[in-house]
Amino acid sequence: MLPARPPISWWLAALAIALANAGAAAVAMAAGDNAVARGAYLFRAAGGCACHTASGPDAAFLAGGRALKTPFGTFYAPNITPDPETGIGGWNDADFIRAMREGRRPDGAHYYPVFPYPAFTLIRDADLGDLKAYLDSVPPVRRPNRKHDLSVPYGWRFLLWVWKWLDFTPGPLATDPSRSATWNRGAYLARALGHCDQCHTPRGPLGGLDRDLGYAGTRDGPGGEIVPNITPDPSTGIGDWGVDDIATLLETGMKPDFDDVQGLMDEAIAQGYRYLSDADRVAIAVYIHDLPPIVHRVARATAKSGGFD
Amino acid sequence: MKFRKFRLAGSIIGLALAAAIVAAAGGAGAADDPANVIKYRRIVMGSMSNHISAIAGIVKGKVSYASHIAAHARAMHAMSNLLLDIFPEGSDIGKTRAKPEIWSQRAKFEDAVAAFRSESGKLALIADSGDMAAIGAQLKVVGKTCGGCHKPFRKKKKKN
Repeated sequence: MLPARPPISWWLAALAIALANAGAAAVAMAAGDNAVARGAYLFRAAGGCACHTASGPDAAFLAGGRALKTPFGTFYAPNITPDPETGIGGWNDADFIRAMREGRRPDGAHYYPVFPYPAFTLIRDADLGDLKAYLDSVPPVRRPNRKHDLSVPYGWRFLLWVWKWLDFTPGPLATDPSRSATWNRGAYLARALGHCDQCHTPRGPLGGLDRDLGYAGTRDGPGGEIVPNITPDPSTGIGDWGVDDIATLLETGMKPDFDDVQGLMDEAIAQGYRYLSDADRVAIAVYIHDLPPIVHRVARATAKSGGFD
Repeated sequence: MKFRKFRLAGSIIGLALAAAIVAAAGGAGAADDPANVIKYRRIVMGSMSNHISAIAGIVKGKVSYASHIAAHARAMHAMSNLLLDIFPEGSDIGKTRAKPEIWSQRAKFEDAVAAFRSESGKLALIADSGDMAAIGAQLKVVGKTCGGCHKPFRKKKKKN
């Protein structure tokens, strides 16, 4: 039975508890109270892995089969449900970590970097464990994988060790102590999980990222799409966007001019980034907004109110 | 007798002429060069984008022209009434992102346009209210109706 008029100390205690919960909620929303829930959140932060679900309304979740056309050929995403024969149900934790951290199959063969392990390698061990727990919890679906259809020499899988030797350094992302906690959280979400640079950075002929043009967009994006320059360059990038504009886009897919993103980014938002907390989207926006501006025009300068010839 | 036949013939010719004139006027866009329809359409789309961006700039406080919101909102709503006219058959050929589903799923397309007309109309109604929160909220609703057409009926941006 509550007292008719609670003493001040009761109110202060209630206030303290409320404040503590509010502060913890931001972390708790990200951490969850068990590995599967945490893994589900990380899965969303990674863009919902839309690549691993075939197109069409009847496609089984994460059972693979989706074709991704690239300048190197067409890749068919594998089945990552826990089916023991056709999916990854037979994998233990070490297999999963090896795949994500090193880009290697359990039999030791290299993965093509269309599977963005050069980004996922930056994910911390504890988060990899949670991701595996989540993937182990999705319905297993029997669906055999389809071989990739790649042009020479990209079809020669053994050549990947050359690419890796030139371009790939495995290992989780270290915090930058000179930057704020928000910036660091945004860097981790964008670089390791959201893997933004894997689409937004142009690639050289060997398929490696052209790091001098980090996040500066490409006309040769996956699926033949034009991928925009998301550095804060005012003429060719998103220099006139604020942090709130970027965060809003990650939630709604809407740009500041109320045009909407389409294609793979729309899927990554709809199946991934829109499930993040507001604070996490703002952190990503802070990181992206702080990138070095790079002049790199990818889209045709659309004459929005151009006249007739 | 002769006079009656004359009048009948005259009425028939007159009606036929009138019908021809009405057909020529009412079938606006159908006989135009698709390339020009596409350019015209881009101009109309661009003008709506400009108006909604202008309102957003005012609502965000970048400029203080709150009294201008009504003009932009009414212009945008007026543009929305043009949309059904500017997608004639054959205008998906050329430099356009219009998808053939606009015609093969015409009812769904017209529903999407109707949603945009309705929500832009509501925005025009509250534009003079001075309630920036309500205007900002309705702006988002209108933006979603833009996507309601773009997502199913507009192609992704591709190189070719």
